[in-house]
Amino acid sequence: MALDKNKIFIVIPAFNEESVIYDVLQEVNSAGYENIIVVDDGSSDNTYTAAAKFPGVVSVKHFLNRGKGAAVKTGMEAAKILGADVAVTMDGDGQHNPRDIAKMLEFIRQGHDVVLGTRLQNPKGMPLYKIAANHIGNFFTFVFYGLWVTDSQSGFRAYSKKALDLIDTRTDRYEYDSEVIREIVRHRLKFKEIPIEVRYTEYSMSKAQKQNLKNGIKTLIKMMINS
Amino acid sequence: MLTLPQIILAFIAFVFLASSILKFLRKEKSQTLFKLFSNVFVWGGVLFFSLFPRFTHQLSQKLGFGESLNTFIFIGFVIVFIILFKILNILERTERNVSEIVRKEALAKLEKNIK
Repeated sequence: MALDKNKIFIVIPAFNEESVIYDVLQEVNSAGYENIIVVDDGSSDNTYTAAAKFPGVVSVKHFLNRGKGAAVKTGMEAAKILGADVAVTMDGDGQHNPRDIAKMLEFIRQGHDVVLGTRLQNPKGMPLYKIAANHIGNFFTFVFYGLWVTDSQSGFRAYSKKALDLIDTRTDRYEYDSEVIREIVRHRLKFKEIPIEVRYTEYSMSKAQKQNLKNGIKTLIKMMINS
Repeated sequence: MLTLPQIILAFIAFVFLASSILKFLRKEKSQTLFKLFSNVFVWGGVLFFSLFPRFTHQLSQKLGFGESLNTFIFIGFVIVFIILFKILNILERTERNVSEIVRKEALAKLEKNIK
């Protein structure tokens, strides 16, 4: 059964992405997706205004910075309010290629509930420390939630309506991505991992500093508390 | 020969251990591998020590808890860690509530705009 394009929503969490958000929206729009929700997670720059300038984009703003997980959850709720059948989440710094969305939607059309974009099946250009950090994340996700995936920290994912209705997350920051894996196990959702392209630009690499060792340990502690 | 308190303790530990393993096998809501390990460690320990109480004495000798004061200090550390964990839990819950308020406010504006 074909998917209704009017009910496919792209959810983009953004924090201080003023300089790139318009270009990201343009790229998503050029790939053929018109329903775009941008969640400005309490940015101190003009991300919200920059996103709102793009025709047809739904902009939502957190008045406080609550973290990527909280922003994605708000975006998913917004998608449900707008009547979404499918929601695709992707980062706001332009590292994900919107052309991969079509591949994800194909698996949703075939009956999968969640499609996880994985960087580790195609790690070309991915820094070694990120590959190592990812393996550690995958290991702890397996220990806490009992499901082995090749990229537990990827933010590029697609969800069917069933997944949108069932997935209920509680965490706000980077542990959110692993929590989705717990929800897949809990609700026995049908999932598929597909390789995605990630573009490591100077800009996206400078943003990646937020995911340092200290934050990695914090994420791990939060996973323990919430497991 | 087992005493009555030993039998009761062993029975309770066995019930909790079995229920935890069954829950994990049935893939029940929120049962994770981590929880299973924790339960096996705690309740398995209780079951083992209730059946073989003499082992505790040997263990305390080997670990250097021969003196009662050392044991009290060790228990004190464990209690401090439990309290720390509880405080982290409360903080986490408060953070979650703040996020929920922020989310509701953001979505209320969206719903208002739709209408």
